[in-house]
Amino acid sequence: MDEEGGVEMNPALKWSLLPMGGLIVIAFVLLSIMAGGPKDAIQMVRYALPYMHRGNLKVGDGAPDVRLVALDGQSRFQLREHLAGRPLVLVFGSFT
Amino acid sequence: MGDVVKLYEDYKDRADFLTIYIREAHPTDEWRMKSNEKDKDDVCYAQPKNLEQRVAIANDFAKRFKFPVPFGIDEMSNAANDAYAAWPERLYIVDENGRISYKGGNGPFKYDPKEVRAWLAQRFGEVRHLEATPSEKKG
Repeated sequence: MDEEGGVEMNPALKWSLLPMGGLIVIAFVLLSIMAGGPKDAIQMVRYALPYMHRGNLKVGDGAPDVRLVALDGQSRFQLREHLAGRPLVLVFGSFT
Repeated sequence: MGDVVKLYEDYKDRADFLTIYIREAHPTDEWRMKSNEKDKDDVCYAQPKNLEQRVAIANDFAKRFKFPVPFGIDEMSNAANDAYAAWPERLYIVDENGRISYKGGNGPFKYDPKEVRAWLAQRFGEVRHLEATPSEKKG
């Protein structure tokens, strides 16, 4: 019987939901301005945030070796093959 | 990318460069941006679903900008992207001993070729070929 009483919303919860909802709305508006529009905000959360990482690599760590594909689409080479006794600048990016 | 090309032209005699093409940042089927149609001259691609498509876009890019910097393409497993937390864009400098000497921030806001230029300038002295910056030519 006591548990049935629990269905009714706890007043503290009720009053904390209101400002929380307000904060979510404000956050969404700010995100929309930052991203360029409401649609951009949704797409940013869906497509950008999951891929954006800081990663664990730190200055002083060995550079991980990875296999890369050459522009011909066939041949492969290792990233560290480009280390030839000089500093190596790595530029990661895409077209769009 | 223009800044990177200038850096390359200025320092290619002293340092090596490697561009690594990773998964698209703003493909038409994901977070499409208006700037891709306007400012970037209709650079509109869907996110590549296989290596063939990825290689094709990388080639378009290299041709369009007559991109002089050596080029590698990440496998569809995104191994390079994952190892270097690269997406959407990021710069690194690896020293002669194969250690990370500089790790740039995530693009677009913390992506800063000027920091790489500063690193190279500290190491090798400032190099700025006049052809690279027409505005400086006058002065």
